[in-house]
Amino acid sequence: MDIKKAEEFMTKLVKAGKEYGFEECEASFSAASSISMDILKGEVSNYENSATSTLSFRGLKNGQMGSCSTNRFDDESMEFLLKSAMENCDVLNDEDPQFIYCDENNKDLYYSQTTAAYEKNSYSSFRGLGLKLEKAILALDDRIDAVDYLSISCGRGPFLMINSKGLHSYRDSDGISLYAAARATDADGSVKSGGHYWVGKDIDDFDMDKFLDKFKDNLIGKMGAKSCKSGAYKVIFRNEAFQQFFSAFFGNFLATVMQRGLSLLAGREGEKIASDKLTLEEIPMFEKALTKIPFDDEGVLTTQKAIIDNGVFATALYDLKSANKAGIKSTGNGFRAGSAISEMPTNLVVRAGEKSLEELMGEAGDGIMLTDLSGLHAGVNSISGDFSLLCEGYLIENGKKGRPVEQITIAGNFYEIIKNIICVGNDIINIPAGEGEFFTPSVLVSQIAVSGDAE
Amino acid sequence: MFNDSDCLKILDCAMSTTADFAEVFQEVRESKSVSMLNGQVIRAGTSYDSGTGIRLIAGTNCVYVYSSDNDIDVLLKLARDAASAVKGGNKTQIEELKELCKTSKARVQIDPMTVSKGDYYEFLKQASDYALGYDPLITQFAGSIASGKRTSKVINTRGVNTEDTTQRIRLSLETIATKDGEKQSGRVAPGTMRGYEFINEYPVLDKTKECCDTALRMVNAGYAPSGKMAVVLSNGFGGVIFHEACGHALEATSVGIKNSYFTDMLGQKIASNLVSARDNAHIDGEWGSYATDDEGNPSSDLLLIENGILKNYLVDELGSRRMNCKPTGCSRRQDYSYSPTSRMSNTYICNGESNPKDIISATEYGIYCTQMGGGSVDTSTGDFNFAVNEAFMIRNGKIAEPVRGATLIGKGQEILKNIDMVGNDLEMSAGMCGSMSGSVPVTVGQPTIRVSSILVGGREA
Repeated sequence: MDIKKAEEFMTKLVKAGKEYGFEECEASFSAASSISMDILKGEVSNYENSATSTLSFRGLKNGQMGSCSTNRFDDESMEFLLKSAMENCDVLNDEDPQFIYCDENNKDLYYSQTTAAYEKNSYSSFRGLGLKLEKAILALDDRIDAVDYLSISCGRGPFLMINSKGLHSYRDSDGISLYAAARATDADGSVKSGGHYWVGKDIDDFDMDKFLDKFKDNLIGKMGAKSCKSGAYKVIFRNEAFQQFFSAFFGNFLATVMQRGLSLLAGREGEKIASDKLTLEEIPMFEKALTKIPFDDEGVLTTQKAIIDNGVFATALYDLKSANKAGIKSTGNGFRAGSAISEMPTNLVVRAGEKSLEELMGEAGDGIMLTDLSGLHAGVNSISGDFSLLCEGYLIENGKKGRPVEQITIAGNFYEIIKNIICVGNDIINIPAGEGEFFTPSVLVSQIAVSGDAE
Repeated sequence: MFNDSDCLKILDCAMSTTADFAEVFQEVRESKSVSMLNGQVIRAGTSYDSGTGIRLIAGTNCVYVYSSDNDIDVLLKLARDAASAVKGGNKTQIEELKELCKTSKARVQIDPMTVSKGDYYEFLKQASDYALGYDPLITQFAGSIASGKRTSKVINTRGVNTEDTTQRIRLSLETIATKDGEKQSGRVAPGTMRGYEFINEYPVLDKTKECCDTALRMVNAGYAPSGKMAVVLSNGFGGVIFHEACGHALEATSVGIKNSYFTDMLGQKIASNLVSARDNAHIDGEWGSYATDDEGNPSSDLLLIENGILKNYLVDELGSRRMNCKPTGCSRRQDYSYSPTSRMSNTYICNGESNPKDIISATEYGIYCTQMGGGSVDTSTGDFNFAVNEAFMIRNGKIAEPVRGATLIGKGQEILKNIDMVGNDLEMSAGMCGSMSGSVPVTVGQPTIRVSSILVGGREA
């Protein structure tokens, strides 16, 4: 469905919505086109090409917001959308009002960040890069048996929204991602797997040497890993691991979660919840971010703010509904999940400290550096903050990186961990998360319980 | 949708270069849901979507294109693009289309799509009122009913012409207990391919009570110990451990590229003698069932392990080419936006002979896991981890105090060998499984089993 036709349909739909009995209503359209390629054993094992689109409708009646979605664009689907949304209004009994919004001074919102570089993405450019990369990975070390996954994909798409209050909002973006994982067998027959990823906007920005260095570290670095003794250790969450860990609990910083009594942070804005060393900001237009987000999916402009400011919980993230309930302004974090709105972060940035990763290890003396956490979708109680997670990493001995460790778990509580951060590194990396990316360095935590089965 | 002559035009176009196989997959899906929090309906959703996926295979290489636009011209253009990306292969003839084979494993008396959302609301409201009045420490109730119907059609160059309908409904009840700023939850989430009569017959207040009791026990519980110990896994969702630690490693997705620790092990002993296991998509009305898979093959009841010996892998079309064997009718996908691959359906460890009570009394010291959370596994190394949502210590053959915060970790290939008791109380439990072809409904199941030693990650030494 091309966007012009979609816009005509949406204009008609919004008009029909008012006539159908909605006080206010809104239509949104998102489309995505993508290319994706898998390389296996010197061949293109899978190639995908797609074009999809979705139309969502929301209508307000008696303070209740009914919504529904489809990918059909005809008269029959217009009737379906209106009727279903009205039925949903009738069954909802949410005591907190929702809003269809338009800022008088910002009726026309437009932000395009697709790039000409996107045109370089093609079957042949992906194939060329993929085959070269697979070869290079296999050449890294004799112990590497196979590159089991090597996937390159790109996508772009527009998001258009119009509503009965006069809002016309458009934004688009594009991006490329690459992921590779390989398997290696040690002299004793034990198998290890490891991988690395890259995200960017221009395929020519992919730095193969840099990627291979990290890839080698993530796979060959694990050879010979075994468990370690149980006990309380000083722990460094290496940058990726800290992103994984923090993201698993990020829901607690969302106003709706707090208002529903599902976050222990409810009512604690302004209080000290973490170590002085920790500052976490949301920077929607962060210069280094691949996707910049000037306004949210409710038509509210986004702003830069600290969420945790030197350990103090500065603000939660709000959309129009939760902000109204709290009696404040939306922070511009209302984003779409399906046809409903919920709070999501844009670009999150943990403020860097001064020490390099090596200096953090020096600071730790003896301990463990975690490089990868498993089972985050299951091994955490996001409400209580309790976690027990399978991890991999390295021992830290006399301030230096020691042997690799595996088959260990760390257990504790998120709220205690963020209080116990004693040092923040300067090795910032970016990982796609939420509506944007999460930028974080490594952090050193004073003590965590580790279970292992070594004597 | 579902226009045979259009599909044949697409196949023609797809086979215009050197592909040796092509397939058109079309689906229509509708859904409706109601979600409640503390008595208020905070979300009510409805959707209707359709789409087409076209797959071309040449040897073991695959090209997949898909679109939500079902216009024939759009699809023909995609098919042409796909054909131009095919490399290698031996061009074959398109066989004559067989007569349409329509199937379903849904056993529906009352169609959930025709039941009003008002009825969904009333059902959840009684659970909500009950939970919030149960104990002052129960502070939240969250519940939902979600129903969906999907009809999918497969036409391919071998003349396959099938249409399968699944219709599923899932109920979720969750209660949260709060004490001294701590929150713990209890949850049940049954799912079925039966109709709304399943909801009508469901013992909702008893189950809500169970959720409340779990949440209360856990909020008052101390932390689980850590270290290696005997672990008794109760029946039903305890089967997630088999699903993760063994099932995924039997899928052609990993076996076909020799990325599984069970590669080339057919006929070999991979588990304790006490273990037999099946993947059975045939069970009428079961959550993970289907009659025809997403490649148009009839589904099967597959014996995976018999008395510890590996008998079968789960094999899809592409896997069958890599492994030089027949597909087993297990190819699934979340929707048209995924190329299909080998997946599980209703996967379970078969009944053994022990009485569950005897399993507990035979265990001097260990942990009894009554509610499992999710988990994950790396099929190349066997590393797995599972969260335990509710557990009790076992001391001197008796169930002792409740404990929380435990995780089970280990290697899949080792744990199967360490199963030393298998109960006779097989039960099934619904879940969702995420893998390469998206998220699909699966059932896990097992009787009560004991594993002689697993590393428990807890907080207490």
